[in-house]
Amino acid sequence: MNQVLSAKPTGKKVMLMATCLCDAFYSDVAKATVEVLEHLGCEVTFPEGQTCCGQPAFNSGDFETGRKVARHTMKTFSGTQPIIVPSGSCAAMNQHGNSLQFESEEDRAAAADMGRRTWELCDFLTDGLGIDSWSGTIQSTRVALHHSCHTRGSGTRDAAMALLSGIEGLEIVEFGEDDQCCGFGGTFSVTFPHLSGEIGSLKLDHVLESRPDKLVSVDMSCLMHLSGLGKRQGRDIPIAHLSQVLRDAIQEGKNE
Amino acid sequence: MSESAKDKIFQSIREANRTIRAPEAYPEYEDSLLVSQAHLEFPDDLWNDFGRNFSAVNGRAMDSPVLLMSWLREQSCTFGYCAPELYQAIGLALENEAFEISCEFDRSRYDDYQFGITRASGAVAESGSVILTDQDTPDRLGALTPWIHIAVIRPAQLIPTIPEAIRQFGSHSNIVWVTGPSKTADVEGILIEGVHGPGEQVCLLLHES
Amino acid sequence: MSKGPVQPIDAFSANISRDQRDAVMSSCVLTTEKRRDILWRDFPKPDVLRELAGKIKQHTLDHLDLYLEQATGALEQNGVAVHFASTGQEAREAILGVLQSRNARKIVKSKSMVTEEIHLNPFLEESGIECLESDLGEFIIQIDGDTPSHIVRPISHKNRREVARSIERKGLGEYNDDPATITRRARAFFREKFMSSDAGITGGNFISAESGRLVLVTNEGNARFSLAPNKLHIAIVGIEKIIPKDRDLAVFLNLLARSATAQQLTVYTQFINGPTPPSQPDGPGEMHVVLLDNGRSEALASNCREILRCIRCGACQNVCPVYRQVGGHAYRATYGGPIGAVLSPLLAGKSGFPELADLPKASSLCGACREVCPVDIPIPDLLLRLREKAQIERVTSPGTPSMKLFGVLASSPALWRAALTAGGVLNHTPGSLLPIPAMKTWLSQRSLPRFQGNEFRRWMKYRKGSKE
Repeated sequence: MNQVLSAKPTGKKVMLMATCLCDAFYSDVAKATVEVLEHLGCEVTFPEGQTCCGQPAFNSGDFETGRKVARHTMKTFSGTQPIIVPSGSCAAMNQHGNSLQFESEEDRAAAADMGRRTWELCDFLTDGLGIDSWSGTIQSTRVALHHSCHTRGSGTRDAAMALLSGIEGLEIVEFGEDDQCCGFGGTFSVTFPHLSGEIGSLKLDHVLESRPDKLVSVDMSCLMHLSGLGKRQGRDIPIAHLSQVLRDAIQEGKNE
Repeated sequence: MSESAKDKIFQSIREANRTIRAPEAYPEYEDSLLVSQAHLEFPDDLWNDFGRNFSAVNGRAMDSPVLLMSWLREQSCTFGYCAPELYQAIGLALENEAFEISCEFDRSRYDDYQFGITRASGAVAESGSVILTDQDTPDRLGALTPWIHIAVIRPAQLIPTIPEAIRQFGSHSNIVWVTGPSKTADVEGILIEGVHGPGEQVCLLLHES
Repeated sequence: MSKGPVQPIDAFSANISRDQRDAVMSSCVLTTEKRRDILWRDFPKPDVLRELAGKIKQHTLDHLDLYLEQATGALEQNGVAVHFASTGQEAREAILGVLQSRNARKIVKSKSMVTEEIHLNPFLEESGIECLESDLGEFIIQIDGDTPSHIVRPISHKNRREVARSIERKGLGEYNDDPATITRRARAFFREKFMSSDAGITGGNFISAESGRLVLVTNEGNARFSLAPNKLHIAIVGIEKIIPKDRDLAVFLNLLARSATAQQLTVYTQFINGPTPPSQPDGPGEMHVVLLDNGRSEALASNCREILRCIRCGACQNVCPVYRQVGGHAYRATYGGPIGAVLSPLLAGKSGFPELADLPKASSLCGACREVCPVDIPIPDLLLRLREKAQIERVTSPGTPSMKLFGVLASSPALWRAALTAGGVLNHTPGSLLPIPAMKTWLSQRSLPRFQGNEFRRWMKYRKGSKE
């Protein structure tokens, strides 16, 4: 068990941070996250006042605005329950980003507390709930697993692999330079569009060489960028969040 | 001028460091943490490890003058510089085998010497490095300008690891660790040996006579 | 159709030649792979070493006045003349002063990024001093009037054909792009230059505060050759290059070459403890060390001080997805890539910062640099701090959207939900018609998924409702 993660509060009563991206563009990812958690016996509450973790402002260097948004998020998620988020990026924001943003602030302890309670979904399943593999089935699918940069150096990559490896019918395919960024980078994608496009296209080159049926990640931001690029370049690739793969695996298994 | 710059810089540094809340303490560590065990297979046979690691960087480890001489002949190298303090140990033997040896390094004809033989002060087994110091190799040019450099060591001079080699720095005013022949990969990353230093680096082990 | 790239580094990416991009990309990818292979082959836990090295460096920086004092004393004890230079100009003048006082007019130089930083060569040339770059890559740079694009591999942006043309232009032979031939010609050219030089100028990888030893890490033999036939050695070293003790060198030497060129050690590691004694036939009997500030103490006072740990290995440049696309020249400063994105704006000082404030933004904050840094510098954090600095100092950057509206929407649940509803317009109107520049830019390269605002919320509400 990961030392750092074992210090986090866990349990079956959890709050869901859906992420602004899923709120706007990927409702099924948030749904799948709820379905996966409930399948494991969790009681999931969705604080309706939630908006965003504040990362766009933070990344732009506007820490004042970032803190304003983070404070609203802290208020919305106040309490002691674990906060589950289907995004390595938002989880990292609550944990590491806020530690930077709130460094000299009076309420840094409160920010740190929210960070401590925040779990990326795969981490929660494996280290929070102790699931070490996912029993389920899907129709034969070659999956390219994209490791989002916010999971760098964390146990999330292993957790994602462990969960996917257990699914019957799912084959994880390797591709070159898999450690390299997809080029999204939040506002980077629109402030440095040429670079973002080139880096993303290079990633697509590598991924498509492995002939996957699906591109999967724990972060929809990367997938939105890559599938958006792919569509425009005439080389679309179906995408899925890890929660959707896990959910679909249960349901297919159920149907047998 | 430099004095006021010195004062200015120190003042700047002191002011900068006044604001640190938690200065980093010096971390304690064991030298063993730094040793690359992959490079030390035979702790009782340092020459073996040295030879392996030296060869891995295209150095040539030789443990007898006979080997050296036959190799030099293969390279068609028959004229070289030999440090005077090595004449008895190796220079004479070479002369007896029809090599032309000069014990004086003549700067005006530095490009004539096809090889240079000088004493080394030690060798590091872990990295395949030959240690040259001014004390044992006062003729820096003799070790540097010929295409072939032959560094001569005795078995007792072999040092197992990098930390140990550092411990033995002493008060030498100049130490060079030579880890193979000179090289560059500046052009398209393609490795070329023999740039400004020797293109062939030999280490000759001479047993105590 | 949206207008062209507005950020200079993005524009550089759009304009770089395919040849140049490929040269940079391939050398970066290869070196990154080899670095990983050798580190993991040689050590069970390389990250432990990186953290240790980082702590030693941070400790030194946090006590820099003490260690600089100690180093100065040790250097002087060894017979080295120590000069302090607050600025690049002071450093150049100090070096010129020494050269002129010894009537040294023919200088050979080994590679030093600090000398690039202070633009030493043109300055010396103005005073009629020939200062030849003996490192092969830097030699080509000098012939071309170019600048290095990588801190370890100066001509990583060039292919062999370009190098061959430079060699030909220099008069060293007819066009020949075989790397071995190019190298031989440079070797032949430099031998007499070394032998007849009046002085050698070097940088310095480390200075041990304990012994005053100056450490030079090279492969070509040019540093050795710059310091054998002549009588004068001038080294210029940034004040952050001090390390506490000789034994700490084992930590850094084990990491530096592996990180930079995937070697266990470079071919020549020189430990110079002072000028050569009079009894010594070869070697400089006179040695000067110029200790350079040039913005470093200001960086030390900033909240990005960790950047001063840098030991100039270039691993961060090699692994960076942005650097791989553009190379070092895109950064318009001596230091480019991740290290440069932090160091260059900082060294530019208060007045120079605005001009380089875009550098820290040219990053997706992927963190690959942090993972490879041998001294564990948290580069992405420092990039963010510099972005904050630009924001606070109101240094605007072209094309950066303001976050104020976002802040308003994201701290008001009612406004947020209204925005989620309003966003539905995206499904009926081409986004490119909306007056949102970021949207236009996005859509010029990527499609957008169907807008689904409020769909999940309704589902969740219904789900809860149906359970009760």
